[in-house]
Amino acid sequence: MDVKYINHFISAVNNTFTTMLGSSPERQGLSLKQHHVAQGDISSIIGFAGKLAHGSVALSFPQETALKIHAVMTGETLDKLNKDVQDTVGEIVNIIAGGAKTEFDQEGLSFHISIPTVVVGKDHTIIHKGSTPIVLLPFTWEGCSFVMEISLKLEGTPRRPIRQLAGEAF
Amino acid sequence: MKVLVVDDSATMRRIIIKNLNDAGFSDTVEAENGIEAISRMAGVELVLTDWNMPVMDGLSFVKEIRRNTAYANVPIVMITSIGAKKEVVEALKQGVNNYIVKPFTPAILIEKVKSVIPN
Ligand SMILES: [Mg+2]
Repeated sequence: MDVKYINHFISAVNNTFTTMLGSSPERQGLSLKQHHVAQGDISSIIGFAGKLAHGSVALSFPQETALKIHAVMTGETLDKLNKDVQDTVGEIVNIIAGGAKTEFDQEGLSFHISIPTVVVGKDHTIIHKGSTPIVLLPFTWEGCSFVMEISLKLEGTPRRPIRQLAGEAF
Repeated sequence: MKVLVVDDSATMRRIIIKNLNDAGFSDTVEAENGIEAISRMAGVELVLTDWNMPVMDGLSFVKEIRRNTAYANVPIVMITSIGAKKEVVEALKQGVNNYIVKPFTPAILIEKVKSVIPN
């Protein structure tokens, strides 16, 4: 997977946070994830399916971050990850996936996105189908943290080795 | 003016309805998918609909109501995270009057809403 494809997801995160939540997050690095255990307390995943590209993107949030996002979006302060917060998290990931899809489309890589799935609980799992490596991108936003996981397989496009990608600072 | 807001996300419906209320559109009804939306169409003068929804998506919903002569002229604004050209063109072809890509600001939402209703 080329770095520029990861940038499509990063710019979708930035655009979504800036427009819907009033400030952009800061990206903290990039690594490869080797397991399926989520880092946050609540996660949402969306699948992509197209002729030239398929995979999935997930965002995983600690409870504190999810509650803060929900409060900023709706004006409602909650203290647990109820149905409303789950809905908010699913919709945020839907907007990010749609934003990335739009950028891929401009390069002739079109795919459909699924309806978001939301999972809650300590050490829940996030399953990206297939054996494509999972790129993990941590962010901070307003003193809170979250991570984005991307697993994307492109067909027929030149690929650089994923290890090289993970070692790159961009 | 009675406005129907269709989105599978309750949070998104809440945001859209708040923005509408703030701009003076106080008569709103909600639906969380296309099927539910069809059942809420009576008396509706403006439709704001999401695309990506379970059960019946926004594009199928638009096709359904455009087929019904009673609703053939009701203005429809599609509000979706999908901004790809192909999809926008398809939505307009099926009878959507304007298109908003999520994420949006309240100002954009109201501007597009006003662009499709008679003043
Ligand atoms: Mg939706």
